[in-house]
Amino acid sequence: MEKTMNKLIRIIGLAIVGLFSALLVANSVFANEVNVFSARHYDSDVQLYKKFTSKTGIKVNVVSGKDKALQKRIKEEGKDSKADIYITADAGRLGAFQAEGMFQKGASSAAIKKVVPANFRSPNWVGIAKRARIIYYNPKTVNPSWNMSYEDLADPKYKGRVVIRKSSNIYNQSLVASLIKNNGEKNTAAWAKGMVNNFARKPTGNDRAQILAVAAGEADWAVANTYYLALMLSGKKGAEQQAAAKKVMPFFPNQDGRGTHMNISGGGILKHAPNKANAVKLLEFLLTPEAQQHIVNNTFEYPMIPGVKANKLIAQFGLDFKQDLKTKVSNYGKLQAKALKVMNEAGW
Amino acid sequence: MIKRINFWVIFAFLVPLLVAIPIFTVFLSFFDATGNYLDLLTDTFLLKYLSNSFLILLGVLSLTFIFGVTSAYFVSFYKFPGVNFFKWALILSFAVPAYIYAYSLVAFFENYGTAFSILTFLFGEGDYNKNIPKFDGLIGSMFSISFSLFGYVYVLTRASFIFQSHNLIEVGKNLGLSSYESFFKIILPSARPAIVVGLSLVAMETLSDFGTVDFFSISTLTTAIYNAWISFDDLTTANQLSFILLFFILLLFVLENLSRKGAKYHQNSKGNKPIPKIQLVGGKSIFATCFCSILFFCSFIFPVSQMTYWTIKFPKYFQDINFWSLNINTLILVFLSSLFLITFSFMTNYGNRVSKNKIISYLSTFSVSGYALPGIILAVAFITFISWFSDLLSSIFGFNSFKNVFIGSIVGLVIAYFVRFFSLSYNGIKSGYSKINNSIDENAYLLGYSKFKTFTTIHLPYLRTNILLVGVLIALEIIKELPITLILRPFNFETFATKAYSYAAQDLLEAAAFPSLCLIIWASIFILFISKYILSEK
Amino acid sequence: MSSNFLEIINATFVASKKNKIDNVSLTIKEKGEIVCLLGPSGVGKTTILRTIAGLQDLKSGVINLKGKTISSENFNLEPEKRNIAMCFQDNSLFPHFNVLENINIGAKRKNGSKFNYSDKDLIKILHLEDIQEKYPHQISSGEAQRVSLARSLFSRPDLLLLDEPFANIDTSLKEELQKKIKDILKEFNITTIIVTHDSHEAFFMADKCGILLDQALKQYDIPYNIHHEPSSLEVAKFLNRGVFVDVKVVETDCAVHSLSHPILGEIRGKLVNNFPAGSKVKLLLQPEDLRHDDQSKLKLEVVDRKFRGTNFIYTLKTSSDEKIPVFVHSHHIHQHQKSEKFGIKTPIFIDHLVCF
Repeated sequence: MEKTMNKLIRIIGLAIVGLFSALLVANSVFANEVNVFSARHYDSDVQLYKKFTSKTGIKVNVVSGKDKALQKRIKEEGKDSKADIYITADAGRLGAFQAEGMFQKGASSAAIKKVVPANFRSPNWVGIAKRARIIYYNPKTVNPSWNMSYEDLADPKYKGRVVIRKSSNIYNQSLVASLIKNNGEKNTAAWAKGMVNNFARKPTGNDRAQILAVAAGEADWAVANTYYLALMLSGKKGAEQQAAAKKVMPFFPNQDGRGTHMNISGGGILKHAPNKANAVKLLEFLLTPEAQQHIVNNTFEYPMIPGVKANKLIAQFGLDFKQDLKTKVSNYGKLQAKALKVMNEAGW
Repeated sequence: MIKRINFWVIFAFLVPLLVAIPIFTVFLSFFDATGNYLDLLTDTFLLKYLSNSFLILLGVLSLTFIFGVTSAYFVSFYKFPGVNFFKWALILSFAVPAYIYAYSLVAFFENYGTAFSILTFLFGEGDYNKNIPKFDGLIGSMFSISFSLFGYVYVLTRASFIFQSHNLIEVGKNLGLSSYESFFKIILPSARPAIVVGLSLVAMETLSDFGTVDFFSISTLTTAIYNAWISFDDLTTANQLSFILLFFILLLFVLENLSRKGAKYHQNSKGNKPIPKIQLVGGKSIFATCFCSILFFCSFIFPVSQMTYWTIKFPKYFQDINFWSLNINTLILVFLSSLFLITFSFMTNYGNRVSKNKIISYLSTFSVSGYALPGIILAVAFITFISWFSDLLSSIFGFNSFKNVFIGSIVGLVIAYFVRFFSLSYNGIKSGYSKINNSIDENAYLLGYSKFKTFTTIHLPYLRTNILLVGVLIALEIIKELPITLILRPFNFETFATKAYSYAAQDLLEAAAFPSLCLIIWASIFILFISKYILSEK
Repeated sequence: MSSNFLEIINATFVASKKNKIDNVSLTIKEKGEIVCLLGPSGVGKTTILRTIAGLQDLKSGVINLKGKTISSENFNLEPEKRNIAMCFQDNSLFPHFNVLENINIGAKRKNGSKFNYSDKDLIKILHLEDIQEKYPHQISSGEAQRVSLARSLFSRPDLLLLDEPFANIDTSLKEELQKKIKDILKEFNITTIIVTHDSHEAFFMADKCGILLDQALKQYDIPYNIHHEPSSLEVAKFLNRGVFVDVKVVETDCAVHSLSHPILGEIRGKLVNNFPAGSKVKLLLQPEDLRHDDQSKLKLEVVDRKFRGTNFIYTLKTSSDEKIPVFVHSHHIHQHQKSEKFGIKTPIFIDHLVCF
């Protein structure tokens, strides 16, 4: 019995040593730090955080992952969560997370309020960069009138000429949510059916694949976010795609009415953030001209603050289009579930 | 029985019990009241999700059957140019995870993709997009999963062919069967148990796939569970859906187990000489070589070339990657997980052996179905369970919360891997133990060896090949593992798999190429390391 | 506690649900005694050894070794702590060690008794020189059995248990080995329990023999007594060297007792069990009991003849159809064909009259 006990102790000891060494690797604790849970996967964000660290001495720890999984982790960790900031690329998600009470007030500090338009922030979260979800067309085959709208894409005359990605995509959900907000659920359901009738193919691929489908002549119209075109034009995806992107023109819809659908990447300070002061500092830093310039040059999003110019690859298509500032982005979260239902019922 | 309780038996009871917790949870909550997500599901998507899962499963099973059995048949019975090369080259397909295969597939066939570049390079500028075949996500998922999993069917079927009784085939010849007839009437039926085992492994992996179907945005039963849980916070529905999934998979388990028993019956143990291989000539020989070449090309060369091409074409991304830390992180996970898995699998197996207790044995059998829980579901279940348990202990005993020890730490990752891959490890060690007669242990005790010493001096050396095999299989799984790592990893922690995923998520598959390639190379090294055991003809 | 070396008290051994051995009591008084348990296969001999070794639980009763309880109804000392070695009937060598390594692995017992032979000596004694580098799957089952024996001996146990140790060994080698092993066991005073179904082996090896029949230990005595004074009809039948004939007890008062058989006539000798004069009993007739005598008036018909090299065993038939075996040396004067008459020396004298 004694021998067995000794062995048991030895094995448990070994296991504990193993656990602790693993813990050391995992939780190298820095006193001055800020912890970011990010659903944005950009490497350029990480470079930006490094700039922040060299400036302030505050270490930035990052976990990136799928939106909802990160949220789940934050929720379950509860008051023990080490996460300070949650960053994601959709206003609807920020709103929904806020509705669950997971953010604390203070994201929009005085400095931030000064530079960020009210539509793109709330007491709980703040936008970091903007993107528009726009229409792309093939200039060789079609020519949109200046006041063309998202609503027009459901016109039967475009039958078999429209491509867009699946209904499960959050950007689509936010777009349709804004349509529901502006036109009502019933009209939007009819619109969704019209869209599905106009599909050139079963929805497949990401936003870039939709633009490429127009370039390849599979369709005349595509709906996709702005930065995808710039990404291709930048040559980061190779010469062929750069050439392909030049065959496609972006179009900013609803200029006659409420303006083009805007969405944001944004972040908020979490309820149980252990490093709130540092978190505020990081958010403020992300909204400085220096950081904004870094973001727009790498991700090709639109800057959130005035005085910073979008990258020329995106700026060349015009910066003075009418943005939909009327539809509060905070509505997206509330209506996304309805939007998904509408799309699914239409067979999207 | 009380007389026989000892250290080992306690482990044999506790380890499977812990592993079985997530599965118990799923079973117990099946009879709870349903949540609203289920109503939504049944109204709109459930049928769609089920049919997607079913279609993918059907497609993958058909393809892996054709790929695996045909190639195994050629390399086991015939000589043709390259046969010795294909014999092991075909198992390299294990090194390519389905999601990386999916990246390659999309990159190659998309508008203005690699195929377009090649055609442009060969024939000059032109509008080739129309001529490049397009397929939707469902077909893409089927092919990606099939090419990365057909190896299971190939390896098991081949082993069964090799060990098939020579006599059986000769009898067939004496009865005047053509090679076509003898294949369908004798060879195939007698290899059926092995094929079923292979296919059920494929089926389990297919049903629990997340990376591939997520990349193609195909909603399946697994994504439905994930959504129910994570988007709608509807644990009950998630569990009920998981129950359907588990039910399917347990069915497969039963099927597989039955076949395994059959396989024993079919195997002719003594005096088995390798079957002399027949030289193929002419058209048949060309066909066999072509079939194997195409299979090898599609399953391995194609994704590797695509990834290599990008790595070279976009060297900028190559520099962005912290290569060494990725290597170290991946290896730490592999090392810790295999260490714990193998150690505890040994203890559980030995405990089972020592106790001869039926309850413990059933518990072990039950717990290995942890393999059936998709990784992504397991990861979420893990977070939920740990926080519930931590809160419970805090409220009762006033402990400090220990959530941070388990969530977002290497410890948590290793434990989650443990639950997921315990089946693999436990069964691997078990198959080794089944070769050690019980009287060997008794002899050791009678020579004065304690249980621990019997273990170290007798079992460990005897099972070293098994340990190697199991260790490498765990390593392969962990190198390729994506959802668990993604959800449970610590801050600033990347593996090749998460890095590749992260680039794919920001639509930079070009940048995902290098980590993907590293992942494939690591996995290939491990595969080559054990290929001689997998392909043994003795 | 008494000072007996091994005590088995009122023990019930359970082999399977149906098969058990009840109420066994058996004592080995001195260290170094060799005990053989003799019984037909399937009676549970191996179960007894396994239980003594601690590999199986004792159902009821007590087993004490050197004054300490090692097994009882609710206690079971781990087998590795008993210092008992056991040689299994089937091959149970460690497959990943060669013969020499297998033997040496036994030497690591910490509290073993004194043992002066080296591994090489044992290899020589057991004729294992040629195979010492080989692996278990490369040797025959007889060789494996000898290796296993060497391994057990080399582990210097307090108590050695041998399960049919010579079962797979060639007849030519068997007797030589039996002697050598007995010598070793005696030289080093190793207490041994041997299980066998071969009474010759048991009688040769054992200081004491136990007969296991019908789920019980029927008799436990020195081999001479077992042979000459079997305690019951069953034991005598099991030892199987003769037939029972019906006789009547005539005279029991004198030093020499006398019985009468209607055909064989008067049979004299000493009754093992006492019966009053006039009782009708069954007498055990063993082949060695009757003598050949061509001159005798008592002649019986030969119905069978077995030639066994040095001797013949004839089966004779009496007029009342009793078949009687007779043992004679293999010599031309003893040659008789079937259905010839065979003379038996009268009066018949048998040292031990075993009657029931």
